[in-house]
Amino acid sequence: MTRKQKRLSVIVAGLAFLGAATGLTFYALGQKASYFYMPADLTAASVQPGQRIRLGGLVEKGTIQRGQGATVAFSVTDTQKSVKVMYTGILPDLFREQQGVITEGSFGPDGVFVADSVLAKHDESYMPKEVADGLKAKGVWQESKSE
Amino acid sequence: MVETGHFALVLSFALALVQTLVPLFGARTGNPRMMAVGGPVAVTGFALTAFSFAALATAYASSDFSVASVWENSHSLQPLIYKITGTWGNHEGSMLLWVLILTFFGALVAVFGGNLPATLRANVLAVQGAIGATFFLFILTTSNPFARLNPAPIEGRDLNPILQDLGLAVHPPLLYLGYVGFSICFSFSVAALIEGRIDASWARWVRPWTLVAWMFLTGGIAMGSYWAYYELGWGGFWFWDPVENASFMPWLAGTALLHSAIVMEKRSALKIWTLLLAILTFSLSLLGTFLVRSGVLTSVHAFATDPTRGVFILCILTLFIGGSLALFALRSSRLTAGGLFHPISREGALVLNNLFLTTATATVLVGTLYPLALEAVTGDKISVGAPFFDLTFGPLMLPLLAIVPFGPLLAWKRGDVFAAAQRLMAAFALALAAVLVTALFVDGASVFAALGVGLAVWLVCGALTDLAVKSGAGSVAPAIMLRRFAGLPRSVFGTALAHLGLGLTLLGIVGTLSFGAEKILSMRAGETIELSGHTLRFEGLYPAQGPNYSEDRGRFALLGADGSTISEITSAKRFYPVRQMTTTESGIKTIGFSQLYLSLGDEATDGSVVVRLWWKPLVTLIWGGGLVMMAGAAMSLMDRRLRVGAPSRRRKPTGAVPSAGLP
Amino acid sequence: MLFWVIAAILTLGASLAVLLPLAGGSKGASAAGDHDLEVYRDQLSELDRDAARGLIQPAEAEEARAEIARRILRLGNADPAAKAVGPSTTTRLVATVAVLAVPLISWGFYSELGSPDLPSQPLSARLAKNPADSSVDELVARAEAHLAANPSDGRGWDVLAPIYLRMQRFPDAVGAYRNAIRLDGESAARQAGLGEAIANAAGGIVSAEAQDAFEAALKLDPANPKANFYLAMGLAQEGRVPEAVAAWQKMLGTLPQDSLWRGAVEQALAESANKPVAAGEPAKGPDAGEVDAASSMSPQDRQAMIETMVAGLDEKLRQDPRNAEGWMQLVRSYVVLGKADQARDALNRGIAVFGPDSEEARKFTAFATSLGLTATE
Repeated sequence: MTRKQKRLSVIVAGLAFLGAATGLTFYALGQKASYFYMPADLTAASVQPGQRIRLGGLVEKGTIQRGQGATVAFSVTDTQKSVKVMYTGILPDLFREQQGVITEGSFGPDGVFVADSVLAKHDESYMPKEVADGLKAKGVWQESKSE
Repeated sequence: MVETGHFALVLSFALALVQTLVPLFGARTGNPRMMAVGGPVAVTGFALTAFSFAALATAYASSDFSVASVWENSHSLQPLIYKITGTWGNHEGSMLLWVLILTFFGALVAVFGGNLPATLRANVLAVQGAIGATFFLFILTTSNPFARLNPAPIEGRDLNPILQDLGLAVHPPLLYLGYVGFSICFSFSVAALIEGRIDASWARWVRPWTLVAWMFLTGGIAMGSYWAYYELGWGGFWFWDPVENASFMPWLAGTALLHSAIVMEKRSALKIWTLLLAILTFSLSLLGTFLVRSGVLTSVHAFATDPTRGVFILCILTLFIGGSLALFALRSSRLTAGGLFHPISREGALVLNNLFLTTATATVLVGTLYPLALEAVTGDKISVGAPFFDLTFGPLMLPLLAIVPFGPLLAWKRGDVFAAAQRLMAAFALALAAVLVTALFVDGASVFAALGVGLAVWLVCGALTDLAVKSGAGSVAPAIMLRRFAGLPRSVFGTALAHLGLGLTLLGIVGTLSFGAEKILSMRAGETIELSGHTLRFEGLYPAQGPNYSEDRGRFALLGADGSTISEITSAKRFYPVRQMTTTESGIKTIGFSQLYLSLGDEATDGSVVVRLWWKPLVTLIWGGGLVMMAGAAMSLMDRRLRVGAPSRRRKPTGAVPSAGLP
Repeated sequence: MLFWVIAAILTLGASLAVLLPLAGGSKGASAAGDHDLEVYRDQLSELDRDAARGLIQPAEAEEARAEIARRILRLGNADPAAKAVGPSTTTRLVATVAVLAVPLISWGFYSELGSPDLPSQPLSARLAKNPADSSVDELVARAEAHLAANPSDGRGWDVLAPIYLRMQRFPDAVGAYRNAIRLDGESAARQAGLGEAIANAAGGIVSAEAQDAFEAALKLDPANPKANFYLAMGLAQEGRVPEAVAAWQKMLGTLPQDSLWRGAVEQALAESANKPVAAGEPAKGPDAGEVDAASSMSPQDRQAMIETMVAGLDEKLRQDPRNAEGWMQLVRSYVVLGKADQARDALNRGIAVFGPDSEEARKFTAFATSLGLTATE
């Protein structure tokens, strides 16, 4: 190989590498990103059982039921619709009735959302951003004066 | 005192403006007096900023609620240590810490840069001053930590309880030392672009500063990860949270910079690339600051958010990133390219390292920004989490880690892969043995887990092989070898330690993810739980009172084989009345390098408590490896200590000075 | 004053940092090439050391040495040393502007942002200053800090409790009175104060809990005006207006002429004469006077507040119905609010909980009758 060919092959190898990495990144974005929904969005968007999504809203009042062991059931609502969620584990410290929450998981065949993680807000002064935006869009919640 | 601190801050802003304009003008017109202004002004600016920061810390320590930020983030009953660390546990104070560190690095350049070419020094200080001036302006106009309240409230609103922790005392300063440390590399690069030439001393300077910044950033990330691990009570050490990514991207780019700077210093090659990388690294630091501080992302770091702050930081971001890249586009053609090398060589290996690291940085960047971009464009909200990064970041890292041991064993200009492979035979054999032992004798080990352990062992043994080969193992007598080993340049040790630390971290990650176990159940006092051969008995919940919280402590006894209590683990639910907040204090018992991790849930009406117990094998190695990497960086720095910057003419005789690797 | 002195000194120092280098003599900057040469020489000596130590092969060392030598040769072609010093007029102009900029910018900005007249106020200093100069808030904070450190100081709680009461911090007052009673024993004043705090915390309704406290006070001091007044108020709220009027009139007979309670009693009498069923009028003693929160509320607000509380009680009873005391309180509250239908509904629900033949049901019926209410329409 001449020097020029060598250089060319190095450049081609580099470009192929970058192309592969780019392709992989976009493939992964399509496959592995999970969409965020509020309960009322779910009827419009068809979410297959088993598809990973994030479901956000308020914990509906009076729906928290502690089942056997560490399993908890509660409903997530955006005041228009509500969805039943099952979760096994320790709820976050700031998990309360009528507070914003984001759960991540997928729907079972029976229409119950099985969450493997539950996030509540980090402190008392704000809601999870997605939930706040969603509720604002639905005209349910107004941001209180910031401190 | 408070107002004096405020005034000092304003004065620092004025000085930063002078530091930007006068030396820059001086360097353009070749006026040595104007160029000389940079040094004293940088040092004075640092002194004033430090004074200002001390004034704020005093206000926090003495609970001066006439200062708005103290009132918002402190309480008179907090322990003194958390009153002081609360100084940077909020937006305003943390930004002041940011500029304090920025001016600190500027002052270091001024003090130790006496033997830099005068124009380079002037330009570097000017760029440093410009960054400082914009951030001072940002602080003074949108986030003034010295805003006052009159009349002063009598009691504060308390620091966010999850920030009342020693981890917080250490994590932000370390992280900022890292972030802001890269500003020096950035300033040097922009200065070189302004001048249109890269001095040989430029390369010498960029390397140690990169090392310093990288060392602190490593520590800051490790500390933050450990803090999240024990304080948030989820038992995870890395969440691929956008805020974590914000600190991880500069680290990846900084690691690439660290390696390309070696090539540039030793071989005068890759100059333009290194310069670009230095700009990108600091740009990613700024981006991290923007993401975390603007409220674009919600997280524990997004204190109170304010849209004007976000817009201001975005302007700073555009100015510096856009400005420096535009300058690069205009001027880089004027810079002369460096030496040539064969693809199979030390340089080639380092280029490969850069290729992988920058691509990995790019995937993390895409994964972090794509959800933001998508929401802005289509309104769809998505989250990109571990599954994405496992699929993209993982495949990029694995081949890179596999070739790490080869790099240091290749010669400059033209290397011999086969010779290197021969020397690595022992390391390879050990790694293979580790794979087989894991796959055959560890219960539940998957193929991936076994390969992961093998890769970690390969890294560790590869690092040790490097030291052995450079000491002449196998070719000289043991006594000579020992003497050679002792005489090896410190940077050789540095490289080996950093690579070894990487192996340890990998071992910790693989161990925790592949061999860990977890149990969730609801327990009553007296019941026992068994996990991975450890038996715990729940002794019950006991109320206790802290200075500004009350807590229910769940006590657990770790039982020995005969049923006797070996030690006790305590996990607690804490309630902070001022903020009406509950936090979980996890209970952790370290056994060897592994940990038992216990987290308490809510108490049910029947008196039972949900308990989540993890067995985390080798988990401490994750952060221990980080410490070893830091030690490696410190080792390399000591090598360079005597010749930071260009050599001075009053140099001591050189014989006693150990020196860096091969030319 | 001290602040301005320090500010002036800081400004002077900062200006000098700009001025001195500009005024100082030129040290004769060396050419950039000189620095490069030093670096290359250093690299050469490094190379020699590495070669001597056997870290690199002699052939490689020779090649590297040649490369560095080429770099040194290239230096010769690089541009010459730094240009001559610029015209001194420009220097002087820049110097003047730069030196002036420091005080102008800093003092200008600070005058916009700062509060130079506001001294630092560390909490310890604020708490240590002469009590006569302190605001009530500060005094209370001092007392709180003291009690946080010495929670078993009964006298401290005793002093703080009436202050809380006057500051409208009723729940705190309840806690403080309880602490004082626990630590220093009962007294008529403490029990009566506790009752007042409980009643005010409940928006003025004299609950069973408050009644207990007032009755305990009367046991210690049968003539305690506060306890007598509030107990009568409780009677009025239950609808037993004639009994309340009798109690108040008895008070008027026994109270000394200069007693502050006279006015309150007379007002209560006047009101009870106008309105047979006082619409949840919060009880008000004269010492609660001008600072009473409820009095600063509009009647509508007050009504709304009471209704909210009653609704809360109703909700509580739905979840935990076996609470006879609670049912009676709820029935009474509805009567006080003038909502006879709801009172009757509550009565029937209460009877249903315990069964129509139970002891409680009979008690409820008797109680309702005393309020002028019958179980079924």
